[in-house]
Amino acid sequence: MSDVPYMPQMPATSDHVGATVEHEKAGLLGWVATVDHKRIGILYLLTSLVFFGAGGIEALLMRIQLARPNNSFLSPGAYNQIFTMHGTTMIFLVAMPALTGMANYLVPLMIGAKDVAFPRLNAFSFWLLAFGGLFLYFSFIAGGAPAAGWFSYAPLSEQPYSSTTGVDYYAIGLFVLGMGSIAAAINLIVTIAGFRAVGLTIRRLPLFVWMVMVTQVLILLALPALNASLSMLLIDRLMNGHFFVTDSGGSALLWQHFFWAFGHPEVYIVVLPAFGMISEVIPVFSRKVIYGYEFVAASTVAIAVLSFLVWAHHMFAVGLGHSIDVVFAVGSMLIAVPTGVKIFNWIATMWGGSIRFTTSMLFATGFLVMFTIGGLSGISFAAFPIDWQVTDTYYLVAHLHYVLFGGTVFAIFAGVYYWFPKISGRMLSERLGKIHFWLMLVGFNMTFMVQHFMGLIGMPRRVFTYPDLPGWAALNMTSTIGAVIMGIAVAIFLWNLIVSFVTGEPAGNNPWDAWTLEWSTTSPPPAHNFDLLPPIRSRRPLWDLAHPEDPDWKHGH
Amino acid sequence: MQTDPSLLRDSVLAQPISHLFLLVGIVMAAILLLVTVLVLYVSFRYRSDGVSVMPQQEFGRTSLEILWTVGPVLILVFIFAATIHAMKESDPGFAANQQPDLVIVAHQWWWEARYVKSGVIAANEIHLPVGKRLFVRLESADVIHDWWVPQLGRKMDAVPGHPNFLWLEADSPGFYSGTCAEYCGAEHAWMRIGVIAEGEPTFEHWAQHQLEVPSQLPTGSDAAQGAQLFQQFTCGNCHTIGGTSFRGKIGPDLTHIGSRLTLAAGRFQNTPANLAHWLTDPQAVKPDSHMPNFQLSDAQVRQLTAYLETLQ
Amino acid sequence: MDTEGTVERFVTVDTYEFAVTLFLISEGAFFAFLIIAYVYFHGSMASGPNAGNSLNPLKTGIYSVFLLASSFTVSTAERKLSSGHRRAFSGWLLTTIILGTIFVVGQGREYFNLYRNDVTVSRNVFGTSFFTLTGFHGLHVLLGLLALCILFALAMGGDFQTGRSSAIRAVALYWHFVDWIWVVIFFVVYVWALF
Repeated sequence: MSDVPYMPQMPATSDHVGATVEHEKAGLLGWVATVDHKRIGILYLLTSLVFFGAGGIEALLMRIQLARPNNSFLSPGAYNQIFTMHGTTMIFLVAMPALTGMANYLVPLMIGAKDVAFPRLNAFSFWLLAFGGLFLYFSFIAGGAPAAGWFSYAPLSEQPYSSTTGVDYYAIGLFVLGMGSIAAAINLIVTIAGFRAVGLTIRRLPLFVWMVMVTQVLILLALPALNASLSMLLIDRLMNGHFFVTDSGGSALLWQHFFWAFGHPEVYIVVLPAFGMISEVIPVFSRKVIYGYEFVAASTVAIAVLSFLVWAHHMFAVGLGHSIDVVFAVGSMLIAVPTGVKIFNWIATMWGGSIRFTTSMLFATGFLVMFTIGGLSGISFAAFPIDWQVTDTYYLVAHLHYVLFGGTVFAIFAGVYYWFPKISGRMLSERLGKIHFWLMLVGFNMTFMVQHFMGLIGMPRRVFTYPDLPGWAALNMTSTIGAVIMGIAVAIFLWNLIVSFVTGEPAGNNPWDAWTLEWSTTSPPPAHNFDLLPPIRSRRPLWDLAHPEDPDWKHGH
Repeated sequence: MQTDPSLLRDSVLAQPISHLFLLVGIVMAAILLLVTVLVLYVSFRYRSDGVSVMPQQEFGRTSLEILWTVGPVLILVFIFAATIHAMKESDPGFAANQQPDLVIVAHQWWWEARYVKSGVIAANEIHLPVGKRLFVRLESADVIHDWWVPQLGRKMDAVPGHPNFLWLEADSPGFYSGTCAEYCGAEHAWMRIGVIAEGEPTFEHWAQHQLEVPSQLPTGSDAAQGAQLFQQFTCGNCHTIGGTSFRGKIGPDLTHIGSRLTLAAGRFQNTPANLAHWLTDPQAVKPDSHMPNFQLSDAQVRQLTAYLETLQ
Repeated sequence: MDTEGTVERFVTVDTYEFAVTLFLISEGAFFAFLIIAYVYFHGSMASGPNAGNSLNPLKTGIYSVFLLASSFTVSTAERKLSSGHRRAFSGWLLTTIILGTIFVVGQGREYFNLYRNDVTVSRNVFGTSFFTLTGFHGLHVLLGLLALCILFALAMGGDFQTGRSSAIRAVALYWHFVDWIWVVIFFVVYVWALF
């Protein structure tokens, strides 16, 4: 920990504009009416946590049903609603809000700004999320939750095959969420473009901010595809339209193309900010600057561009024809390259370092291997004759969970353990954190590694039960036990959050001796974020302050 | 008879995919090993001892970046070449005007199969002559389904409004288990496929038998009563029984239901007891399936079962 | 929060103009998908109502001229404001609203005629894709008119004294987008119907 006196660069603004954070109300009303990006960030994170619980319970219910063949714990109708809501919840109400919350909280701090460009729009975006999520969940008590899967393929999602209002709640709820995401994206892009403190050039952006910015561009272009698709589905369902109704000239394939035009960039939307958090955590706990900053940044752009060119790899088994399959296979294989570049740069950052295995660093290190597993199984899908066997099986379920949980969620855990002190002013318990990590690592792999084999021996996905074929019962039971262990790990994490918030050790400004701007202010920061800013002449202003004999800007960075 | 799908060896069209998977799997395992070893190595070798000085700050080296960009690209080129080869071997092309030997129509939640030349109609259990490659047209009567028999080769979606084509060939006799592999609604889990591959003479014999229809009404009081009930409860509105006036096309063809191995698309073994259980309350056995509960009495169930069991 | 001038920033962008531009990019993407859907189904209607036998490109073309003219009038209004001619500014703003309203009335009449001939959103894929695409456009025009009316009311109430307004810039940009995306839609739907 360094207690370095700052050379005042300039006073942060003395604020005199009316409706700002300094004048927020106290108590609950203060939180409901807030326009402070920090509070809004916390609201996003808390919302994400609540839905993580819901999605997790949905997962456990599914795994209990699947623990034994021919089980009758859940009826098929109930199971199908639950698996649909599980996927929809985890992507739209957990991953996206958690990452948006982190971005909201951290981006202004990391660029030395007081707040985002449009604080009221920011609040509006959050309340759209809250409303959209509640609206979607209301479906459970309004005739049934949607049961057509999280990507709602037509014509199953049309009348008469989905005759309850579930899919309508899905479409309207997601449309509202999409609007909120687009609004937040506009806000963050304008903020990053125009509100950086003096000295913070684009080339000096912390990688988390850089990856958030690229993600917002993806959101700007991909979410409209979702909203267009949902509008068309609603017109079909509520106004007897024919877009995707094959009996009357509509096209089932059109839905798939449109949805995946959103859906593929979407998976990068939920993974790039995670990469950003890893890029902050690993250097700090290795006590080394990030290796290959320019390449990590450039590979992010490469991934973003390629993400728009690979959507039909979700459709290899649809019968589009070999030529089309080949085109999308090429893109899908190529996108592995920039991802691999990142993994190698992160490892190189650790190489030669002095690594402190805090809980945050444990999750970041675990992420490296877990995400690699998911990325590699992804490449096996890109070799599409393999996809022709294993798509729509538990092999795919394994793949997606390795990248989305072993990737995104592990990275979020790493980020939470890293930034919780800044947000709350207290340290999370390292003892509980390590129990959380090891239980989670064991439980997660137990749940999902066996699912690769389940797919390879013939078990399709989205089935409420399965026949008692050799090996199926044992593998499923193993997976279920792993899921229970994951549940315990999450419970310990929740306990850690609660206990540490109340009685955790005071954190101080910079408990990790980190180097980006958010660590130069108090924990938690004052309403206006900074009283003073350090001089910004490189990517690591606090490193420069603490190491005047070897500042980064001497190396041209 | 539920044979372990993984014990039967892959047929000729599935083998190229297995080989590709083995190849890709080895490459993937090697890369994973490399990454894991590196991660473990740096984790142990460079673990902080609490007192060391700040490590040397390394900003990067372009030559390394080139290495781990170009290296993966080369590996991918190799995998891509193997992919193209496997694509051609496992999914051979066909002429634009190629006529199908077999038309498979997917329904919620059962499979209809029509042998074009012979006119045989089957449901859920499809017989193939060993060693012959059949050209299949795959259709759907309602939502998107997916035909998947792992040992026989690739899966292929059955998309309404968009017929798909694939080749089917079993090169050793046996029972091949498959399933629908695209979520298609409530009973997606119970839309299983059974492919019975048999020597050509056996297959021809089967096909001949399939074309036979019951020539007369059954004798025996229960079965005869059952035939009456079949009429009375309008079962023929959904189901066809060859040689009778029952011509319904909504549900599976029942002409030879008695000789099937399983019923309700693999939901249960075809025994009189199970069939009776089904007739008593189909919704209890396969909830949300399109067969309603006719509220039959025990006697009626017994009689109908007896009738259906005569349809061998 | 308008922080221009109160925080030392590295880059000064006109935040509102930039934000509206980003929004319009996302709207462009939204319309792109509706246009793709329309194009996909174009020509799949051999029988029944389709673009060729149901639409009147000439009539709609005339109404479109009014809409495009309103793009020029709103630009003129902005110029008048920045050169200090507040009354001319209000006049041109009102002209824009009138021209836009004429377009909406024209579209409304077209919709009514189609409805009378049983060409509806539920009739066939042409009806569905046509009404979805032009309907969402019409909705955007209506919202734009509403925004213009609010600006006009504010102007009447004495606002916009400084000759520069982010609000007017933002609405004008939006209005240009609505007008020019209509050019694309007009060609794809009405002109293509002639071939």
